[in-house]
Amino acid sequence: MKKRGLGFYLRIYFRILAQDLKSKMSYRADFIISTIGMIFTNISGFVSFWILFRNFPSINGWGYYEILFLYGFSLVSLTPVQCLFDNNWSLRMYVYSGDFIKYCFRPINLFFYYQSEVFDIKGLGQLAFGIGTIVYSWGRIGLELTPLMLIKLIVFLITASLIMIALQNMAAALCFWMQNSFFVLDFVYRFRDYAKYPVTIFSPVFRFIFTFIMPIAFIAYYPSLVILRPGEVPILSWLSPLMGCLFFFLSYKIWMYGAMKYSGTGS
Amino acid sequence: MASMIEIRNVTKEFKVLNRREGLKGSLKDLFSRDYKTVRAVDNISMSIEPGEIVGYLGPNGAGKSTTIKMMTGVLEPTTGEILVDGNIPYANRTKNAENIGVVFGQRSQLWWALPLIESFRLLKDIYQISDADYDGMLKLYRSLVDIEPLLHKPVRQMSLGQRTLSDILAAFLHDPKIVFLDEPTIGLDVSMKAKIRTLIHALNKEKNTTVILTTHDMGDVDALCRRIVIIDKGKMLYDNDMEHLKGFFGNYRTLKVRAEGDLKAAAEKISAEVPEFPVNADEEWVSILVDESKSGVMDVLGRIQSRFSIKDMQLEEISTEEVIKKIYEEGVS
Repeated sequence: MKKRGLGFYLRIYFRILAQDLKSKMSYRADFIISTIGMIFTNISGFVSFWILFRNFPSINGWGYYEILFLYGFSLVSLTPVQCLFDNNWSLRMYVYSGDFIKYCFRPINLFFYYQSEVFDIKGLGQLAFGIGTIVYSWGRIGLELTPLMLIKLIVFLITASLIMIALQNMAAALCFWMQNSFFVLDFVYRFRDYAKYPVTIFSPVFRFIFTFIMPIAFIAYYPSLVILRPGEVPILSWLSPLMGCLFFFLSYKIWMYGAMKYSGTGS
Repeated sequence: MASMIEIRNVTKEFKVLNRREGLKGSLKDLFSRDYKTVRAVDNISMSIEPGEIVGYLGPNGAGKSTTIKMMTGVLEPTTGEILVDGNIPYANRTKNAENIGVVFGQRSQLWWALPLIESFRLLKDIYQISDADYDGMLKLYRSLVDIEPLLHKPVRQMSLGQRTLSDILAAFLHDPKIVFLDEPTIGLDVSMKAKIRTLIHALNKEKNTTVILTTHDMGDVDALCRRIVIIDKGKMLYDNDMEHLKGFFGNYRTLKVRAEGDLKAAAEKISAEVPEFPVNADEEWVSILVDESKSGVMDVLGRIQSRFSIKDMQLEEISTEEVIKKIYEEGVS
């Protein structure tokens, strides 16, 4: 059997990506309109955030710029799931119509092959906006910029992304067992809105849910603590990179298990 | 030589939930364990040699797709054994995928937004086709069909015919040992059908690729297949050469004659003359379905001619379509 390593998959991915971008840009009006839409989505998200926090300068001991940092952090960590795994949203349709079977005949990883088909360029604007917000609030809070801090930031950003991706993979994979899994996927998508607030503002019940059941507190809150409040970091925060990897791996396994047991509709 | 595909006593069963009617029923279904077992494929065995084109036929829901899915490794047989080029498809899905090409008539596997040539280049990377092999294949394609207008067109903008053609070319690109074609000519016009049959035939000849073809179009079967396998309700009904097929129910030929005067009356008289064969009359012809194992067409014609004056006559071979229809409806007796 021919060997297919990481280099092989990266080459395939970038080839599909380049072609996909090329074909998207060939629809110029569509491209421009969706770019404008993306900018406005980000601006309106920020404005509603700003209106909220103009009235409450501090929430549960968290200052404006700290919350802003959390907001930026969640924007960046939600980018990979938006850009790279957007095809999860269509999975339900492919499975329902039986078209999913077309992905089953290639000698490459099925999960990779399926996800590589779509790259959602809209997420890039969110990324730029998120990075801007992090940099701005970083300066305002007066955090120091050391290599260690930067590494922490990057590691915890990746962790947070992995958790969000894992959540979405699992929600999407439900369609291999359920007829109508859309509401679950939508539910997960909506819940990520709560990721940008410090989990301490919620009641103990929700705090428990967001930590252990729907671990969205790991998307921004726990990782941000490591950077913003190194003094009060719970042990959970330090464990989160490990949890992120584990959680992603688990979601991948579930997704693949569902796909392997999928048998398609008759034709 | 070893067989390309070896299927031994393969059975595939599905568990299907007995669904109840209405809202209350579907609520109950949530907790129901009331399954029934459906046997989609029932103890099938066959062996297919390299380079064969086999027509895999059967009415809708006969179990064709299930068999194909087992051969491609998507489904695991409940019992029995399948070997595709020495591999167990389900256990070695990736290895098996390198050996096969698959085309579903209505489901394109190409990248929807990309021009065909870019899809080809991606497939070249995915299957790790060498430059020499790739160029050789494109050269062969150019000699067989006019692909230039297709190469730079996004698949999304293609007509159904162009898309099917592209899908077939893509399936053969990595020079697989076996290509599965599931209703490749469905919904196509007559000239496109002919084009696609010629292409499949040429590729099979040139590359000695084994082709498994499922279709409902007997034109495909007549043009391509020397061997056909027929299944119905999961059971194998027939596995033999095309030539045998027509002799299978006796050597039937239809003799059509046109007599003087009223055809209905003539038909009755002719029927009395040749009581062993069914006689029908339409506006133009009196047709007699002659079973040549009982008496020859010339003999029948002679007998009729000795009593009536015949203005005109026609002789029709029974078509593959009619034979298949007979097998579907009556089974093999």
